[in-house]
Amino acid sequence: MTEDWQHPYVERIVSEARRPVDLDPAARDRLMSLVRMEPAPRRSTRFSRLSRANRVRDLFRVRSLVLSPAAGMAFAAGLVGLGVFAGALYSHRDGRFTAAGQPPVVAVSNPQLPVSDTVVQFIVMAPRANAVSLVGDFNGWNAAATPMRPTSRAGVWSVTLPLAEGRHLYAYIVNGSQWMADPGAPIASDDGFGHKNSVILVRPGAVL
Amino acid sequence: MSSRFARSWIPVACAALLALVATAPRAAAQDTDPLAKLDATSRFAVEAIMDSARVDGLPVAALRSKALEGVAVHADDRRIVSVVHGLFSSMREARSVLGPVNDPDLEAAAEVLSAGVKPEALTSFRDAPRGRPLASAFTVLVDLVTRGVPRDDATSAIVKLWRSGARDADFYGLWNSVKSDILEGLNPGAALQNRVREFPGRAPGNTLTPPTGQPESPSS
Repeated sequence: MTEDWQHPYVERIVSEARRPVDLDPAARDRLMSLVRMEPAPRRSTRFSRLSRANRVRDLFRVRSLVLSPAAGMAFAAGLVGLGVFAGALYSHRDGRFTAAGQPPVVAVSNPQLPVSDTVVQFIVMAPRANAVSLVGDFNGWNAAATPMRPTSRAGVWSVTLPLAEGRHLYAYIVNGSQWMADPGAPIASDDGFGHKNSVILVRPGAVL
Repeated sequence: MSSRFARSWIPVACAALLALVATAPRAAAQDTDPLAKLDATSRFAVEAIMDSARVDGLPVAALRSKALEGVAVHADDRRIVSVVHGLFSSMREARSVLGPVNDPDLEAAAEVLSAGVKPEALTSFRDAPRGRPLASAFTVLVDLVTRGVPRDDATSAIVKLWRSGARDADFYGLWNSVKSDILEGLNPGAALQNRVREFPGRAPGNTLTPPTGQPESPSS
């Protein structure tokens, strides 16, 4: 069996193609001079080689990102830190969300204060107290929410705050731990936790 | 091997991270909710009670406040659930006796029941004239019982005053007098009997006027 390339015609073509070509030296010089006259091509970049459509397609091409486990965990830790930082920056301690740096609203001049609110002054005598605070259903029983201030009279503590119309339970916390009902107000029934609370009824423009 | 391992875990890690980043602010907000200090079971129980109250049209704020108070005094979680449920039961019972009343009156009536007064005693206050608040009468009744006045005596005295058309100032006047007598050492029951005689009967149906004057401290 004879191979195709061993065909006599093929051999003839091959031999013809391999025949040395006599090149005029002057022709070579002319060719090189023309090449030198051409401006130097700009350095090609990845994007310049691509057409516009290919560029866009290249942006959406799926690529696989390979990371070592250590690098992946470092990346994850960074993202978690970013999330925690963002959460702390954009949320208040009471859970309300607002932009950072927003100035606080002064309650006294707040035009959105409900008209049904009545400003109530609480006064209690606690001569040996270092600190007294007011807790009640109006501040979530938070001892840090409504601290009382000593008045000019020795041992007398006071605080003023607006209360909505209705019935409120409250108590005083003396020196951060001692729960005390208001001796000048009606007592509520046992609160179920072993403490006594006081009752205040707020009516428009008056308290009972 | 390592690159295959990394490739398989990166999507999972990214998904977990996205979930963390998305929920971080919400988690921070939950940390500030005092009820979040309850264990999951107790918190679920408290919220279930509040949901029931909402369905029944009972004041949910009072229940939440009671739970918050328990958290503030570091009460046991089970105790908090029990107390909140007790308040819910009292309010529901008070509603069944009194009918539709406003929230302050209902909360005060629940306190009356919590103080050990029989629900039948509340029937005298049913169908109160419109605009006549019950809260002051109930508040004084609870205070008297808490100070040691026999429940039946205190109940009958308050009911008598109520039927005679007593006003808020009358109830508070009685309370102030009895309290002073008790502090001076008088027997609570006797103090009430002495003072209640000083209040002449009023014609039922008198128009009630709210107390006038500047807001003042509840302390005297």
